[in-house]
Amino acid sequence: MNQEDPLDRQLREAAPYIEDNGFTARVLRQLPAPRQRGRSARPVILIGMSLLASAVAYVLSDGGRFVVVGITRLTVLPSLWIFLLALGAGILVMTGGLVAAMSKTSELRS
Amino acid sequence: MELTDADLITRVLVDDDHHAFGELVRRHQSAVRGLLRQLTRTDLALADDLSQETFIRAYKHIRSFRGEARFSTWLYRIAYNCFREDARRRKELVGIDDQQLQAEHDPQTADAGLRHDLMHALSLLPLPERTAVLLCCQNGVSHDEAARILDIPLGTVKTNVLRGREKLKKTLAAWGPN
Repeated sequence: MNQEDPLDRQLREAAPYIEDNGFTARVLRQLPAPRQRGRSARPVILIGMSLLASAVAYVLSDGGRFVVVGITRLTVLPSLWIFLLALGAGILVMTGGLVAAMSKTSELRS
Repeated sequence: MELTDADLITRVLVDDDHHAFGELVRRHQSAVRGLLRQLTRTDLALADDLSQETFIRAYKHIRSFRGEARFSTWLYRIAYNCFREDARRRKELVGIDDQQLQAEHDPQTADAGLRHDLMHALSLLPLPERTAVLLCCQNGVSHDEAARILDIPLGTVKTNVLRGREKLKKTLAAWGPN
């Protein structure tokens, strides 16, 4: 078992704990202001593009006729098929979200 | 459950969380300020100014912290760089040699207290030896980490620690075996 060198012990004892006494507060006051959240243009761009894409799709699809046709076809499908389709879509979305979250985490940790 | 330094750093990186950074400062302020007080030969005002500068730089460059070493090691490196830059400005990078150390140690006039003599002797060491002893002997930093903090070869760290300890032991010898 290693015994601590007396000099090391004396050096450590000669340097007692220094109380904060407002030091942390002074440091924080000098930091730049925190990043403002929600001021990014990204949400505006995404919503704008989505609306534009929807408008274009509506115009090019003869007033959204394809939606009516699609829904009509869905209503005649057996219930089990509709359930499986919904489950598959849900799993797909969840998987995509998990992959995105995990890749973001590993990017931050690296 | 207490958050680790890594958790707090992640919060600072992702959310620019000042509370998380404040907790990091609270955890490490004593060690950083203690080191700088010793390096500046107990000039408390200067040491605290340099300590504040250390943490502000750490915040601004936190993305460059790779996590390969301890956060405290990274802070010590920043603190040491702050000290060196300030000393360069003040042109105080001159150390004191053995003869001067001997001449300055006079049991007749030295203030009472082994601790005070030890700190005084520490303050008289040349900067490379003083820094190495402070990091490795007082703050428990490994020789490898000290080499990284000081950006010098591992062998040089070991030599400086050895020489610094020998000089301090000469001072302690005057107090008798303990």
